[in-house]
Amino acid sequence: MRQTSLSVPLDVKPDSYATLARLIDEIRHDPKQPGSDQPDRYERITALVPALHFMSISVFPGHDYDPIFILEANFDGDDGVFWGQMEAAFGEALRDMLRCCKKPLDGDGLLFDAVTAVGSRAAVIPYFERRVQRPSAFHHGNRGLSRECIIGDRDVFLAVRAELASRETDPAQTYRALHPEQIHARLRAAMLPRFAWLAEAAPVRVSRWETALDWVRLLLFVAAIVGTLLLPGLVIASLTSSGLTVLLPPFIIAGIGVWVWLLRRALPGMDIPATLTSSTAIKLLAAVLAGAALLTAVLPFAIIAVYFGSHLLIAYSPWLAGHVGDVAVPAYREALRPAAVAVLVALTLAALLILAIRFVEQRESWQDDPPQSERMLRNIVRREDWIAQNHMGSLVLIKPGVLRSLIIRLGHRGLVLYKRTDPGGYLGSMRTVHFAHWAFLNNNSRLIFLSNFDQSWGSYLDDFIEKASIGLTLAWGSGIGFPPARFLVLDGATHGRMFKNWALASRTVSRFWYSAYRDLTVDQIERNWRIACGLRRPSMQREEAQAWLLDL
Amino acid sequence: MAARPIDPAALPSSGWRLAPDPASEAQGLIVSGFGDWPTGRALFLEFGWQPGTSPPPWLAELLRLAPVTNASGGQDRSVALAFSYTGLARMGLTDEALASFSRPFREGMFQEDRLRRLGDRRISATDPVDQSPWLETVIADGPIWSGNTRVADPTAPLPTGNSLRIAAAEKPEKLILTPLTVHALVLLYEKTEAAADGWAATVEAALGEHKVTVVHRLPLFLAVEEADKAKNISREHFGFADGLSQPIPFDDQGAVILKDGSIVVPDGVHGVPLGEFVIGYNNGHHEKAPGPIVPLGAETKTAGLVPHDRAEGFADFGRNGSYMVVRQLRQDVAAFWDSMQASADKVRAGDPTATHVTADWLAERVIGRSVDGHLLCQKGTLGIGPDGMPANDFLFRGSDPHGAGCPLGSHVRRANPRDSLAPDPTMGPTLLAAANNHRILRRGRKYGSKFVEAAADGDEDRGLLFMCLNTDIERQFEFVQHTWLLNANFHTLYDETDPLLGPKGPMTIREMPLRRIVDVATFIKMVGGEYFFLPSLPAIDYLARL
Repeated sequence: MRQTSLSVPLDVKPDSYATLARLIDEIRHDPKQPGSDQPDRYERITALVPALHFMSISVFPGHDYDPIFILEANFDGDDGVFWGQMEAAFGEALRDMLRCCKKPLDGDGLLFDAVTAVGSRAAVIPYFERRVQRPSAFHHGNRGLSRECIIGDRDVFLAVRAELASRETDPAQTYRALHPEQIHARLRAAMLPRFAWLAEAAPVRVSRWETALDWVRLLLFVAAIVGTLLLPGLVIASLTSSGLTVLLPPFIIAGIGVWVWLLRRALPGMDIPATLTSSTAIKLLAAVLAGAALLTAVLPFAIIAVYFGSHLLIAYSPWLAGHVGDVAVPAYREALRPAAVAVLVALTLAALLILAIRFVEQRESWQDDPPQSERMLRNIVRREDWIAQNHMGSLVLIKPGVLRSLIIRLGHRGLVLYKRTDPGGYLGSMRTVHFAHWAFLNNNSRLIFLSNFDQSWGSYLDDFIEKASIGLTLAWGSGIGFPPARFLVLDGATHGRMFKNWALASRTVSRFWYSAYRDLTVDQIERNWRIACGLRRPSMQREEAQAWLLDL
Repeated sequence: MAARPIDPAALPSSGWRLAPDPASEAQGLIVSGFGDWPTGRALFLEFGWQPGTSPPPWLAELLRLAPVTNASGGQDRSVALAFSYTGLARMGLTDEALASFSRPFREGMFQEDRLRRLGDRRISATDPVDQSPWLETVIADGPIWSGNTRVADPTAPLPTGNSLRIAAAEKPEKLILTPLTVHALVLLYEKTEAAADGWAATVEAALGEHKVTVVHRLPLFLAVEEADKAKNISREHFGFADGLSQPIPFDDQGAVILKDGSIVVPDGVHGVPLGEFVIGYNNGHHEKAPGPIVPLGAETKTAGLVPHDRAEGFADFGRNGSYMVVRQLRQDVAAFWDSMQASADKVRAGDPTATHVTADWLAERVIGRSVDGHLLCQKGTLGIGPDGMPANDFLFRGSDPHGAGCPLGSHVRRANPRDSLAPDPTMGPTLLAAANNHRILRRGRKYGSKFVEAAADGDEDRGLLFMCLNTDIERQFEFVQHTWLLNANFHTLYDETDPLLGPKGPMTIREMPLRRIVDVATFIKMVGGEYFFLPSLPAIDYLARL
């Protein structure tokens, strides 16, 4: 099943900040009345919003803008069903919170008035739906597993443990005397009466259609970037047939290459050794050259196709059909020159971009020790490390300039698409993130990061630093104050202490936070899934049963 | 297992030392556990003068009677000295200087949220009022000593009402105090009990003249048994070889050398930058480990403190110093072995074929090594390493990925998983490097007498005075405690913590075809603890001049 992550950012009236914070706290505190049969707030959310995995409501105080209210939700399926459930569970509470927020100046102002008017009974959720912010990049740790499935698998896991334990005390009953495949068969027989759904096929986590779509999206993304870079060269080739168009670019590229090489070093004392070795650089260069050669060879076909395609459309000629061979070979030769020019100019542009990035990087300032409110920090910390999971929200300003805007947008898009087609991708190697997403706020001037992860905040950041610094530096490096990076991906987050300080200063208190399965880590969810998948199978061979038993 | 003579020059694990320059300034405890001095005394000091008044000359007196040992070696006996945050404040460091220490040290180990993460204390809105907030891994009625640091309550009203104030309705933070306040810790290492007793008494009497009271004292032992000398091991109270696995520091600027003066090359398994243990050197985050500063002045110059390289107008107070975590852990030896016996009996009652499951077998799986310190492998144990001690240069991912030999949740695997947490073999080196960003240099010693099985020996206080050095307490000690040892989901285990240090609970032991889950009780309890600062000799000299 598909999951959705989104956030709703709302500007807050600064005078209402304290009231808003109290209203959010009240959702959290709303205690179970002693002796009452009423479920507490968390149980009610679990019952009323069955699509929900994780949700947070927080307010970021700001020095650059007025405070901003953020509702973050991660749920199964599409928006419609989820928002319907939210209206029932939170409608009135959200209305009170909305009254602490500013009326928007765009067309949603009227709806805001209608919802927040004294005594209003208008549904609140339509307003939230109007203000939804989609992620620019996101990560789902247990992709494709619905909440129902995750909780069902956990119940099976616990039942299997209880079953094994209950037989452990009696030598006549123990599973231990059986062969692996017999253990599997007996466990399945024991579980089926309680979990009838184990007889059905496992739900499809990621459909073929979705996988195909992911690949198409990635290819389109790459094609769009390459195409954009090729366009200037094609225009030049159509305007002039001068030999300079082929001869000049290699010299320019070489010149820029030397320049970039001279700028490759980090600032003194800011160097992280051995992240870009010369062998990696040579491999990278070889890959670029091979790609360029391939592109040059293939591009003529595209040029011919476009050229003839357009001519055929204008005047279809039956003569052509009989003489394709006569025409095609000279045409390919003819098209090779514009193709070569296009590729060479594209490489020149790419080199120029890298040079420009290095220039920008060398002239950026960063924040070694950002100011951190002691009070804010302590209020963040005292809400952490109660259960296996934790939550963080971070809000940073985005560096100005066209180049930075391009990088952050393409970087986020590229990361998501790459990640979707590669299950072991940049955050996947960490295996501690349930749902995380980035989104642009305030006309793309700010970047919010919201994450639901396993273990402590410190260990989570250490994971970023130690295992995923490249992807992270690409995604977050456009934030103002981020530790100095090179070539967008090097150094950056590997400046561990600086990066932690920076990330910590950008955080706010996670005032209200909901998790639908508080005791499960990302790894444990996968383990439970493997156990349940094994039990769905009527029988197993000995070897595979033995491998499966390792998970019990 | 033939014992080989030890050649210190060939010792990768213990042969390292500091280059002459840092060695003359750093405390000896950084490079050595003072194994040549089998006994010792830990004196926990409380300063009796009024806050804000200038301290009596107790430190000069201490340095006269027990000069703090540097890292050059060659002393007749050894001394180490460390201060808690409250101790340094009472010594009269300026607010500016105090604020430059790391957060965990400034807040102290007993800050409410730290205690929760360390698995010592937990209270929440849903707990009944009469339940003790101290967990079962702490002695009854709570710990008896700490630095008694007073942290400002984050819920106290702000002086001015601005729109960014934190909303009310917060429970105020509880100030957690212990009966005894420890401002400084003096460790005396000696050859004989009589000498140690006499020395400690002299020091105690002399400090008493200067309003410094010894509020708590522990006898420290190495106590290597005759039979273990050939094996090159010493044992903790439960009977297991201890202190076998230590990081091996290296420094790209040449501050760590071998006996012959050559620079230590990074060890493939245990190599960790010196800055992880000594302030002022490159650390695992590719920068000089940050440390505290004091204002430049005549005293800093006389004491030999150098100007700080980033803070103009300040001297480097931290250089060649370290942070030292101290926790007094009481061990109930009888309970440990009773628990192992009870669990073994329970297993065999349900499975008479499991004749191999004995108290010893279970205890070895709790630790992850045999009683003589050899790593448990799928078949038998790992042998002797090149240094004549139990081999320690092993990795887990390739040879024992599922914990069939050394259980995934055993103490040694949790305390340092090496490359074990790699999701696939290609990630092994990355995960080993990641794990090495969280290493600690252990300098603990046992206290109390050796356990003798007798009815009379019920309540004797014995255990481990756990001491470790690190420069980033959160990323090193606290990470090991929280994310590895007490993590209920470590290595995709479920609902179980470290079988040795954690609360009562289950432990998974891999067996074919099916794992066993055994119950393990609690037999180690925290008696007291604090984060200390281990100053360099020039820094101590500076303090003596305040």
